[in-house]
Amino acid sequence: MKKWSELKDSSFFDASARERAVGLVDKGTFTEFLHPLDRYCSPHLVVLGQAVEFDDGMVCGVGLLGRHPAFIISMEGRFIGGAIGEVNGAKMVGAIRLALTAAKEIKAKYPGEYEAKRPLVVISFETGGVRLHESNAGLLAHAEVMDAFQDCRHIVPVVSVVGSKVGCFGGMGFVAAAADVIVMNEQGRIGLTGPEVIEQEMGKEEFDASNKALVYRTTGAKHKYIIQDCNYLVEDTIGDFHKVLGEIAGKSMEEIEKMRRIGSIDLVREQQELVKLVGDMQPKDSMDVWKHFGNENPAALPELSTAEFLKTVKRRARS
Amino acid sequence: MDDFENENTMIGRGREAVEQIVDPGSFKENVINDYNFEADCAPGSVVGTAVLDGKPVTIIASDAEAFNDRFPVVFGGVIGLEEGYKMATAVYKTIEADKDKPLAEKRAIILIVDTPGNGPGKLEEIAGMNKATGSYQLALAEARKTGHPIVACVIGRAISGAFLCHGLQADHIVALSQEFGTMIHVMPLTSISRITKLNIEILEELAKENPVFAAGVGFFYKLGGVQEIIEKIEDMRSVIIKHVNEVARLKAEGKGELLGPWGRGILGNERGGRVDRVKVMDKMKEEFAAVAGKYIGA
Repeated sequence: MKKWSELKDSSFFDASARERAVGLVDKGTFTEFLHPLDRYCSPHLVVLGQAVEFDDGMVCGVGLLGRHPAFIISMEGRFIGGAIGEVNGAKMVGAIRLALTAAKEIKAKYPGEYEAKRPLVVISFETGGVRLHESNAGLLAHAEVMDAFQDCRHIVPVVSVVGSKVGCFGGMGFVAAAADVIVMNEQGRIGLTGPEVIEQEMGKEEFDASNKALVYRTTGAKHKYIIQDCNYLVEDTIGDFHKVLGEIAGKSMEEIEKMRRIGSIDLVREQQELVKLVGDMQPKDSMDVWKHFGNENPAALPELSTAEFLKTVKRRARS
Repeated sequence: MDDFENENTMIGRGREAVEQIVDPGSFKENVINDYNFEADCAPGSVVGTAVLDGKPVTIIASDAEAFNDRFPVVFGGVIGLEEGYKMATAVYKTIEADKDKPLAEKRAIILIVDTPGNGPGKLEEIAGMNKATGSYQLALAEARKTGHPIVACVIGRAISGAFLCHGLQADHIVALSQEFGTMIHVMPLTSISRITKLNIEILEELAKENPVFAAGVGFFYKLGGVQEIIEKIEDMRSVIIKHVNEVARLKAEGKGELLGPWGRGILGNERGGRVDRVKVMDKMKEEFAAVAGKYIGA
């Protein structure tokens, strides 16, 4: 595995879950929970005669971003597409709850210093949602994660980081959206229904799942950035993600709350406006929506580098 | 396909179920306290206020007979964008209605569950269906933690993400037994077999012992995902009332951790269906405790 200093300039997109976990926090600060040597793997895959991983395809641990303990959850798409079962689902819930434990201890031991030492949860998603081999347990784990997110509200910021090969789909698509802040690179994708299922439901003329450009325009980071579902669009290096996480860790809870897209009745109203727009407009393509928000030449946007895109793009105005 | 020929099934009969459960003639659609919903928005969802055992409750269901003209993938009980946000609004309006009331007077929310999925379309992905379902789930979690008892009753289909959307954030979940064609699963075993490339006969054999991947109400019961199975349709009302009261009592006693998704984890461990979950979390706790000082004191 690469050293921290090498990870800094490495591609986030190409990085393994463990590389991301180590590189997203400050140098030399990462401690992994349930290290692969402890062999906490899925008992259900064993029963089905399937290969297991000793970390069940998820790296969890704690590191530091400045003085802020950062609880990291990092999914490995190369193991069964990063899908969630009983063990890695429990790791995810466990890590979020530990952040709440840390928050409580900091408040008790260092009253007055909470803001400066406030913990956060960082989730590097790479998953299609529920792992079918243990689907029922995976489903129940998703509900526990949403429940734990609500416990974190106004106490511990939760940050979604999306920029790996598999993207973030299925149930984890709404988990990512339910976080406070979303950080993506250009390659990042978030959605609920995968492209193949949409094609199956609507027909190839309406949605061609083999059209990679169309898929990116629908679920990719640039679209998410325009409609304000992505708060930070960064270059594809682990160092760039690390830097922006450091900034987020230092923000006030009020600033963080403002970056949310769902989680209150006011935000529901705001999203209903967007749904109304889409219902009225019946866009054939996301580009119709980009144009509506003031991008005169939407077809040029996918071709731009991240830096050029950020300079020229017009985004949905927030109410 | 016996499920669909079952005369006793409640699949597609969400509105009837509401009438069977609440006090006779008490359901008022599109009204929560002093808030009125636009009647023509989100046709796939049914929200409103009813009286249950003499007390006001919020009802949330889906309408399997409705079609949403603007979002053509929304029919047959599918929860689409408009539906998800309308359901979320119903929950927030419920919280608002009782915000100054003591815990004991926070009204219950009853979820009638019969839905095959969230809107699987292009418009849905462009606007972000993930936010609509996520929004509704966060609203339910907030209501639950604010003290509203939430009971979900699965009367038909509780499939995958749709069950997460509409059901799995409740305090307690009850379900009509398998006999009524009730379906709780992520995917039927045949699809799991196709995607995982595992032999269907082997899967069927293994499913008898291991509830973790097989489709069915009984398996979810063993995993703690369903609190109680209802054997007769006539019993839906009394079972729901019983669970509302039990949930309210636990909240009054400050035992909220026994409820909701976390409570179902505890139940799944007790019933022997999900025993690794707790081992994983206990070990993580222990490992963090050993290094906590370094991070908390940074």
